[in-house]
Amino acid sequence: MSQKQVSRDINTFSLWQQTSLIASTLIGVGVLTLPRTTSAKLYEAGWLAPLIGSFWVFLSVWMIAKLSDRFPGKTFIEYSPIVWGSAKHPRLGRWLSLPWVIGYLLFLYLSTAIVARVFGEVVVTSVLLDTPLEVIIITMFLLAQMLCMHEVDVLARINELLFPLILFPVLVIAIASFQKAEWNNMLPLYRVPGRALFEGIYETVYSFSGYEIMLIFYAYAHENQSKVKAGFYGIGIATFVYTLIVLAGIVVFGYEELQRVSWPTLELVKTTQVPGLILERLESAFLAVWVAAVFTTVANAYYAFVYGLRQLFNKGIQFQRIISAILFIPLFFIALWPQNIVDIFRASSYLGIISLYLNLGIPLLYLLVVFARGMGSKAKERKAGG
Amino acid sequence: MAKHWCRFAVLLVFVTMLTGCWDRRELEERTSVLAVAVDIVEGREDLYKMTVQIPIPIKIAGSSGQGGGGNSDAVKIMSVTGRTVTDAANNLQLRLNQKLFLGHTRVLAISEEVAKRGIQDIMDGYRREPQIRRLMWPIIVKGEAASLLKIKPQLAQIPVVFLMDLIENGSKMGTIPDQTLGDYFNQTSNKSMEPFLNYVQASESEVRWKGIAVFRGHKMVGAINDIQSWSLLQLRNEQRGGDVIIPLPGEQGGFVTFRPHFVKTKLKLNDSHVLGNQKKSNPQHSATFYCELQGDIVEVTKDLHIPPEEFIKKMQTLIKKEMENRAKKLFTQLQKDYNSDILRIGLALRAHHYRDYWEKHDWKKEFKDFPVEAVYTIKIRRLGMEMQ
Repeated sequence: MSQKQVSRDINTFSLWQQTSLIASTLIGVGVLTLPRTTSAKLYEAGWLAPLIGSFWVFLSVWMIAKLSDRFPGKTFIEYSPIVWGSAKHPRLGRWLSLPWVIGYLLFLYLSTAIVARVFGEVVVTSVLLDTPLEVIIITMFLLAQMLCMHEVDVLARINELLFPLILFPVLVIAIASFQKAEWNNMLPLYRVPGRALFEGIYETVYSFSGYEIMLIFYAYAHENQSKVKAGFYGIGIATFVYTLIVLAGIVVFGYEELQRVSWPTLELVKTTQVPGLILERLESAFLAVWVAAVFTTVANAYYAFVYGLRQLFNKGIQFQRIISAILFIPLFFIALWPQNIVDIFRASSYLGIISLYLNLGIPLLYLLVVFARGMGSKAKERKAGG
Repeated sequence: MAKHWCRFAVLLVFVTMLTGCWDRRELEERTSVLAVAVDIVEGREDLYKMTVQIPIPIKIAGSSGQGGGGNSDAVKIMSVTGRTVTDAANNLQLRLNQKLFLGHTRVLAISEEVAKRGIQDIMDGYRREPQIRRLMWPIIVKGEAASLLKIKPQLAQIPVVFLMDLIENGSKMGTIPDQTLGDYFNQTSNKSMEPFLNYVQASESEVRWKGIAVFRGHKMVGAINDIQSWSLLQLRNEQRGGDVIIPLPGEQGGFVTFRPHFVKTKLKLNDSHVLGNQKKSNPQHSATFYCELQGDIVEVTKDLHIPPEEFIKKMQTLIKKEMENRAKKLFTQLQKDYNSDILRIGLALRAHHYRDYWEKHDWKKEFKDFPVEAVYTIKIRRLGMEMQ
């Protein structure tokens, strides 16, 4: 325990590390399908969905950050028993917090499986046609396992390193594709009933899930850095990227054509010619970079899950290494559960709605309990004192 | 030491797994198809005839100087039949030693006959196939589509490369639309417009761009010639189109040639435009293309003996009249003959007049009688090296 305490003091995440941790977890498989799913209900106004949909994400990440501020240096797993229990009955708190913690960890686990599956699906349908899906999923898991062998600071640095690598190609593709834009495709600005707006926003939920890992990783934020700021930067970058990609898809293809392609962003890459014909077939390069984007999603979520388990059982790094390797086996079978492409999209949609309840519900509930029990002020005093 | 070996083993596993070489296929283990042509089998209406052009790498003259016998040998042309294009491709595979690879296919030639029957069933396979590039050019061929692959252009070793250069160069010059498969997909999906494709004719040794094949849905309904196509390019894509050659009025055998350099087109939609003697109380939508052409006079075959200022003025009105007539003819053809909105007026209407027009009208029926006109502004900038 004392050893852990020491390492925590050293391993603090800078603002940029937190930002890239959030943004790179968000940007993953969702970016490939987002133009289609949002414009299915909103037609030309599909690009509004990520913009408006980001609102509750900001709200949620703000709550998570505030919650973390009440318990500095403690992860969700660690402060849950404190929130639910009392000094007299520590055991009670542990039992009462268990449903939330387990629900949260289970969600992380399942979403890792689905993200890995969608990734494998894209690779198998578009580039490596004869490679078995299983092999692609296993290689992704092996990479994630490598990350799980290390402490949290490695995770932060990996994200910091990969994030520009993910961000810039996506931005370049979106901007380069505007040269084929037909701007009339995005007009009329808005013509659907209000209900459709909600349905469109609902479609973005899955793409926006992933920042819930901050329930754990905010504990390692550098004291001088604002967690709220990092959260807003991260979500802001992801929102910008999503809006841009959806907009590019709509103006290049038109919403009708978007409905017909299974991976619109990949098709966007295929139709985009970079001036000068240096790289005529951009999609291979894009997919190579995109692997990094998916890796940061899969590995971050899985790392959060394994790290959460480790804290739940109060064990060390060795436990983390072993348990992550073991738990990949059921994960592999969960990933292979959906039978076809339609099943996969449905599963990811369900996960999206679960994430909505979890990400809004848990922080809200916790904050309410904290306020009701008057823990907020106490935490503040302690912070001021320290 | 054991740990050392363990690390080495893990590394080895990673190196072999992460290369992504599960299904690698070297370049020489593939049969790259450069162009595909789709025809109907004579007498068997239910079968497609697919013809492919496969380059023979060893016969293509490189810098090494060896090989490079006549152009005719640089490619192999194979024909095969099937109930669908994929069926035909599978039948073709049975005759090939290596796996067919469509990733380098640049041209999809479709015969006019097939296009008039509708090409939705052909396109479906190409929509699903990940190897197919959206930047490929589908081309409608007058007569037999396979004839396009069999040309011997002599100027290029591979006929398809010749054809590609022809289109690429044409679209760079602004005389041929760069109409790709992706564009075709987008236009067929879009409910407010109709697709079009390039229309060519191939002879024994040559290929000629003949204009644009106009579609309605997935069916070709007709073609417009090069002159009307250039008007279309100016109005739709702001591309310059070809030179305008007009007989000089009053001068027997005299011609003037105008070469547009810059095109600026604005589509204006009016919602209460008064056409002719129509009453103002009946608001009606109409579309007007305002097209500004800037260019030079490149040829005048008869001396007009008038001062330059007057000459320019006179020519400008002459060209304006000619261009507007051409546009009018284009509109008549598209509206009355083909009833196909390839001008993207519908898209603009949907974008800008959604509530007051689009919701209340069925564009597929309305386009036929929709008032469209073109107003040209001609600006002659230079007279070439000549001062008159």
